[in-house]
Amino acid sequence: MFKRVVYEDWASIVPIISFVLTFGVFAFATIRALCLSKSRCQDLADIPLRDSNPEPKN
Amino acid sequence: MSTTTVTYDDRTVRGFMTFSLIWGIVGMLVGVLAATQLSWWQMNGKFLEWISFGLIQSEGLSYITFGRIRPLHTNAVIFAFVGNMVFAGVYYSTQRLCKVRTASDILSKIHLWGWQLIILGAAITLPAGLTRGKEYAELIWPLNIAVVVIWVIFGINFFWTLAKRNEPSLYVSLWFYIATIVTIALLYVVNHLSIPTSLIHSYPIFGGVQDGLVQWWYGHNAVAFFLTTPILGIMYYFIPKAADRPVYSYRLSIIHFWALVFIYIWAGPHHLLNTSLPHWLQTLGMLFSLMLWAPSWAGMLNGLLTLRGAWDKLRTDPVIKFFAAAVTFYGMATFEGPLLSIRAVNALSHYTDWTVGHVHSGALGWNGFMAAGMFYWLAPRLWATKLWSTAMANMHFWIGLVGILLYVAAMWVAGITQGLMLSETNPGGATLKYEFVETLQTIHIPYMLRSFGGGLYLIGFIMCAVNIIMTARSGKATDATAEVKILPSTKKDRMSLSEAFTSDPVIYAMLGIVFMILWFFLPPHADKAALVVTILLVIKGVSVFKNDTKTWADYFGRLLENYLPFTVLIFVAAAIGGLVQIVPSLLVNRAENVEERLQIPYTPLELAGRDLYVAEGCYNCHSQMIRTLVPDVLRYGPAKDQGYSRLGESIYDHPYQWGSKRTGPDLAREGGPLVVDSKVMRIGRRDNLWHFNHFLDPRQTSPGSNMPPYPWLFEAKADFKSLPKRIAVQSTLGVPWPAMSRDEIEQSARDQAMEIAESLVKAGAFLPDRPDLTPENLRRHLAESQVVAMIAYVQKVGTYDVVEKKETPPSKTLNPDAHRQATIPNP
Repeated sequence: MFKRVVYEDWASIVPIISFVLTFGVFAFATIRALCLSKSRCQDLADIPLRDSNPEPKN
Repeated sequence: MSTTTVTYDDRTVRGFMTFSLIWGIVGMLVGVLAATQLSWWQMNGKFLEWISFGLIQSEGLSYITFGRIRPLHTNAVIFAFVGNMVFAGVYYSTQRLCKVRTASDILSKIHLWGWQLIILGAAITLPAGLTRGKEYAELIWPLNIAVVVIWVIFGINFFWTLAKRNEPSLYVSLWFYIATIVTIALLYVVNHLSIPTSLIHSYPIFGGVQDGLVQWWYGHNAVAFFLTTPILGIMYYFIPKAADRPVYSYRLSIIHFWALVFIYIWAGPHHLLNTSLPHWLQTLGMLFSLMLWAPSWAGMLNGLLTLRGAWDKLRTDPVIKFFAAAVTFYGMATFEGPLLSIRAVNALSHYTDWTVGHVHSGALGWNGFMAAGMFYWLAPRLWATKLWSTAMANMHFWIGLVGILLYVAAMWVAGITQGLMLSETNPGGATLKYEFVETLQTIHIPYMLRSFGGGLYLIGFIMCAVNIIMTARSGKATDATAEVKILPSTKKDRMSLSEAFTSDPVIYAMLGIVFMILWFFLPPHADKAALVVTILLVIKGVSVFKNDTKTWADYFGRLLENYLPFTVLIFVAAAIGGLVQIVPSLLVNRAENVEERLQIPYTPLELAGRDLYVAEGCYNCHSQMIRTLVPDVLRYGPAKDQGYSRLGESIYDHPYQWGSKRTGPDLAREGGPLVVDSKVMRIGRRDNLWHFNHFLDPRQTSPGSNMPPYPWLFEAKADFKSLPKRIAVQSTLGVPWPAMSRDEIEQSARDQAMEIAESLVKAGAFLPDRPDLTPENLRRHLAESQVVAMIAYVQKVGTYDVVEKKETPPSKTLNPDAHRQATIPNP
């Protein structure tokens, strides 16, 4: 099988693998981003604009 | 909760910013000089004769010749200008995002001054011709070690600061900085692995296609992780600060980050499209480049939309102006990059100025304007005053913008014109229409416009430097302070590494990837078993996720508060792409695996000549790769038994010299067979005298050429003494040198040099600067000279042995449409 990795025509399989990997990463990141609560997002986005830091949560 | 007053270390920020401006101007000045050299060959040294009114007599000065200063320009702009700008931005924003002073002032100082010493070292060694011969990786090995040491010091200081932070969460800018630090360390170390032959010379451990692949894995990702990710981190910090509003979408920044970091690392092979690189790698590089569109534009939109409600500031605030234009250029450059990665487009664009224009729209527009915006925003705060002249900053913006547009448009015109002309055939399609030099002469005006555009951009940056200096003089260097609550160590970084990597989300994802890789690589039947296991793991993972959704959902949230597992995860994401591409090429690049052709190893003199070819930076203008394209084959490999370059033809080349730009023609087939009755002397496409005259005065043999003359090659002596050590290192790397003693190596080089010198004298070679030499003295003089070693090398390039084919079953002729039934419609 390894010989195939090196020598054979991958035209039919490489695009699919590339797409699946990218789609997987995008899907994971998107789901994760959407799961983040609105208040948490706002809190994180405000970090550069705050001169001081908030009380840590337990 | 107790509070403390933090005094930020802004002295280091001021230092990096100042050096960025200084080196930026130096780098751009060298760039403008290099650009003018392409229009007027006299700019390689002859002009010194004119401006000194004849005091300096020289046809060309080695230290400023194009092949040597082009690497100086690229290194100065990338590592000195943008590098120092990045460090300024990272040191400033990291302290504020962590609400803590940088962990160690001493490490900051070592970083600041160590980096400048490295740049100084580069500024001395590169014009002296001391180079590794790989683009953006030219610095010699002692400087490479210094870079690694300083980078590690930077990394320690950065992560130590993260560990001491008073802010529990890691803002998105810090993710980009983490990705930069770990990925650049990985890329830099792998691509700079070399074996020294002396204090100033080494050979890379990779050769041929593998060296090419590693080089562009590094080269492309130097753009990605040195010129993009840290600047994105800076964008996510400084644009909200300048616009005084939070980033448009924090969610989008999460998608932007992970998608970019994962995808970018795979795209390197798009620099080697249509070459002899295995087809699957080219496809991989092309596809991942295309898919980079999505995360890149996510970032661009996020940056631009952060300015919502602040657009009115565009008219008055130069900072916003620079940032808005910079992010727009980021979008344009990241649109053009994937476009150029499409194989069909790349067939036209590669090796032409189109790529140069693309790179400069990113470097001048994205990097340069982000730097300017950041400097104008920082200067009043670092010196506690107002910007000296807003009008001057606005003027800088417009001059710079016109400069970039002129530059980029000129390069588009030059690149597309030359690409089309090089492919154009005569009626019938069997022969090419234009000589290479004709295409060069056609793009003379765009080349002049490029110099003008670059000059405008340089003027803009000089105005920026003046503005910053005057701002600093009108104020007082001030280190900002902030009152912050001390975050107890129990409230941060609570996730241990073992906990991070033994949690269900990671275990299932990792096992899934491992078995998927096994599915690709295992022998028949075992691969199917691996596929079954992969599917079972996915089913099991989904079921565990359903039962314990909260733990899975919390995992990423906790990761944002734990820098160490976050860093390791980024490293893994970046390493996967590199491993998948590079490991298979380890097998390809072995002599026993080569099909069709195998490079004939060099003789000692030819190796000496090759090292000179590398030192003079000839690869900056000449490729050694005939692509698998008809126009390339017609131009450079027309003979029946030649054709396109095969992998085996450069397998022993350390470093590889495929090149990335053709300002002159390809040289892959320049060499030729042995001369009758000679054991070593070869004659290729042109005889020795042609090359002799060409190095002396290129326009004598190629009217209209813009190549600089190389008068010093005729005076300087070839270095035969270092050959034994160099050959010993090459043998260690697997190059099949015959067993030879030190004396035999030197004698072999001298014998071959004498034979070539004799042929030159017989053919009537003449040195205008040495009319006093008798033929015998000229022969002795030339036999010692560098030019003869160079000629020996050029006459050898591209020579190969045909490899005996192993017994293979006869191939069947396939008709892909055989399954179709021809049907004749009834009348």
